[in-house]
Amino acid sequence: MKQPISKLIFRAYDIRGLYNKDISPEIFYKIGLAAGTYVKHTMQGKQISVGGDIRQSSQSLAHAFIAGVTATGVHIHHTGTTSFGQTLFTGGKLKADLIAFVTASHLPPEWNGIKFYYGDGVGFPEENLMAIRDLVLRDSFELTSWDHIGQVTPVDAKKGYKEFFTSQFKFKKKLTVALDCGGASMTLSAPEIFTSVGLHMIPVYCDPDPSFSKRPSDPKPKNLTTLVSAMKDNACDFGVAFDGDGDRAVIVDNTGQILSADQTGIVIGRYGLKKNKGTIIVNVECSKSVKEQLEPLGYQIKQIQVGHTFLTLEAKQTKALLGIESSGHLIIPEYFLFDDALVVPLKIAQILDNIKRPLHDLVMESPSYPTRKEELECADDIKFDVIERLKQDLSKEFEQVNTMDGVRIDFKEGWVLIRASNTSPIIRLTAEADTTAILQDLSTRFMKKTQEMIQQKKTAL
Amino acid sequence: MKEYIAMTRLFGTNGIRGVVNQDMNSTLALEMGQAWGTYLKKTIPRPKCAIGTDARLSNQMLKSAITAGFLSTGCDVIDVGLVPTPTLQYTVKEKQFDAGIIITASHNPPQFNGIKGTADDGTELTKNVEEAIEQIYFSKLFALSDWNDVGSYSTWDGAIELYIKGVLSRVDVTSIKKQQSHVVLDCGNGAGSLVAPLLLKKLGCVVTELNCEPDGTFPGRHSEPVPENLTLLMKKVSETHASFGVGLDGDADRAIFVDENGSYIWGDKSLSLVGKYITQKTKGGITVTPVTTSTCFEDVVRQNKGSVVYTKVGSPIVAGVMKKNHAVFGGEENGGLIFPKFQFCRDSAMALATLLEILATEKRPLSELIAEIPSYEMLKTKIACPNEKKERIVNQLVEEMKNHQEITDIDRTDGLKLYMKDGWVLMRPSGTEPIFRVYVEAKEKHQAERVALFYKNLVESLMQRA
Repeated sequence: MKQPISKLIFRAYDIRGLYNKDISPEIFYKIGLAAGTYVKHTMQGKQISVGGDIRQSSQSLAHAFIAGVTATGVHIHHTGTTSFGQTLFTGGKLKADLIAFVTASHLPPEWNGIKFYYGDGVGFPEENLMAIRDLVLRDSFELTSWDHIGQVTPVDAKKGYKEFFTSQFKFKKKLTVALDCGGASMTLSAPEIFTSVGLHMIPVYCDPDPSFSKRPSDPKPKNLTTLVSAMKDNACDFGVAFDGDGDRAVIVDNTGQILSADQTGIVIGRYGLKKNKGTIIVNVECSKSVKEQLEPLGYQIKQIQVGHTFLTLEAKQTKALLGIESSGHLIIPEYFLFDDALVVPLKIAQILDNIKRPLHDLVMESPSYPTRKEELECADDIKFDVIERLKQDLSKEFEQVNTMDGVRIDFKEGWVLIRASNTSPIIRLTAEADTTAILQDLSTRFMKKTQEMIQQKKTAL
Repeated sequence: MKEYIAMTRLFGTNGIRGVVNQDMNSTLALEMGQAWGTYLKKTIPRPKCAIGTDARLSNQMLKSAITAGFLSTGCDVIDVGLVPTPTLQYTVKEKQFDAGIIITASHNPPQFNGIKGTADDGTELTKNVEEAIEQIYFSKLFALSDWNDVGSYSTWDGAIELYIKGVLSRVDVTSIKKQQSHVVLDCGNGAGSLVAPLLLKKLGCVVTELNCEPDGTFPGRHSEPVPENLTLLMKKVSETHASFGVGLDGDADRAIFVDENGSYIWGDKSLSLVGKYITQKTKGGITVTPVTTSTCFEDVVRQNKGSVVYTKVGSPIVAGVMKKNHAVFGGEENGGLIFPKFQFCRDSAMALATLLEILATEKRPLSELIAEIPSYEMLKTKIACPNEKKERIVNQLVEEMKNHQEITDIDRTDGLKLYMKDGWVLMRPSGTEPIFRVYVEAKEKHQAERVALFYKNLVESLMQRA
């Protein structure tokens, strides 16, 4: 029953684990105590907004978390079972010191977890999450006295959120959109909002299904066959699929082609932004076509390290117009700083409403380059050293080297990124180039360099 | 974090109680939910549990913790919000839930809180069930559900409406409305604030409200409706020339009345007044009350050809005996009245509505009706006695008094109750302190004092010999 809490549930951007194995109501109670202690002492704050996704274990974990937070004297606004965006939007409106959302995002249903954001929509940085981890592992909490116990206020997260979208989006055309919620948390917001903004919706897996029995909650291409065929049957203008909690949307164009986050980002950058001056943020993994397509339009492209936390933080600081994470998180700060997936299809609909051309045409305006991803085994104790040495060596050897997150080497006709995995004994190599031949050449060259460095470090030990 | 649970029993006479974030904390509540959930799951595939709270500041914390526990063992939780204890109990019965949980420390000071449970009929848990849950709690062998079988949580805000409707359907609303009684109502900032004002308005009363805002700091008065806490109520009744006043405890299962002159009416008297009225209507029948209740109750019930069954102290025990004996009425001398046609638990709203019906029927002031109840002198005191000597002392007392000419009857229901020609004495060993609680009742005050002194001396001499 009382097994020690594994350090491994605390990851860079969130806490995750298998329900009843790595995480439990007892552990979430402690995480609540730690989050409350952190908000009270480190942030000098007094309230946390909390909600949970549709997973069957989310309410149990959320209640345990609330019991912990309130025991430290920090108040709770409880949104209940919602999509990610509903709780984030509501927490923002309530000026929460911290917003907590119980979810394991796109992971299978037996998983769960929790992630934190600040009230303004900026993601909770890794070092602060580790401070909460340390409080949990050290059992270092301060229970308050009876007259200072935190109070819980249930709040409705659905109404204000829906009203926000109906005030922001109005369409002249009746667009037909296939909507695939995968039975997950977006069933709680997307179908109703799509209908109320005037879209003609073709529902795919839009009934709540907490065990994700119809399709896995990760919207990768191989899980979207039902969506794609529903689109063809109904001659849809486009389609959208969401992940488990609703922080990632995958767009499918009118021909059934599944778009990458970069492709979607380029279309939004080209046709969907109100201003043509300002910053667009991409991470070091994003395709070079983002810069090629959007910089000539007048935007300044800023490259940052991987992680949606950095994306939100950077977007806030630079007052960015758009942020693209190659993993699928998109932010459009004219609406929210946080990565609510619902704004993505609505923005696409807005573009199609204004431009009388099919989405596929807009996508095809930008070239799509071949990419390659490789994983090299490398022991945990040397992987960061290997990257450090590569940074030094490659900086001397090449002109355009970016070392903010791993090492990225840019050439006119392509680029290579070498990063150590935070969680596994692996070094990842990502490359993109104009042609397959160049891609092969580039990736092979740098694979070799990396292998050599790993070997060198190994022998040095 | 320290856990202070060292005792082998968690449940007291009225649930689990303790000081918040000390012995009554979220860890206990969470594990109590898991223990209780494990117990329910043994016989019910998918138990449905209703949960409610009184107005205390720590309610939501403990509610969240115990809810997490129930959910994690695969029980569905239906949260009915801030409600009086009898409202939750009625809801459990009427909506056919499998269990009821109320977060309350009744009349205790605000730093306390507690957990009280009901069975599927809304009655408080029996000792056997409590012990079974405790056993699971201490073993920590909880039957935790897999990820896909965790319980669902929902809220339901219909409990108060359902309850008020239930109360109204059991009294003569038309006659009560005609009276247009003026009632001064003191809810003590407790859970009764959610029900009593509304109920009185529906019964056509003019209401003067005191402390009718739920507030967990209890700013108006202490929660226990004893005379020293109801001075403002008494004053207000005479000042406003009201028909009567009523004071509730923290979770509104008990009601204490003040007559139209602003005089406090002891719980024995109001119990007897209602008992008299009900046995008149039922032409006798069985009534139930603990051994501590004044003889005036038995007097009025007997006048109506009814009978009294005496029980140990504790409202769940009274309710249980009532159920078994198909009693027509029962209750305690602390304002806890039980109306079996409505439900088998203490119920202040039902007591209040019934008192209004009595006034509407009798058409006389409350003080007059109370004056007709026989009067006895009751004296309460305590005698120090080490716990380990208690049993022996009681046995020796029985031997000593068996052949005493003054003693007409000996009752061992709860401690030792000795009946005399015009009165009785009751010695109850306290469960928590090294004392005997001594109750003496007689016709005259000096008699009561004499008896009390006699037994005090006797116990002390027995102790010296022991």
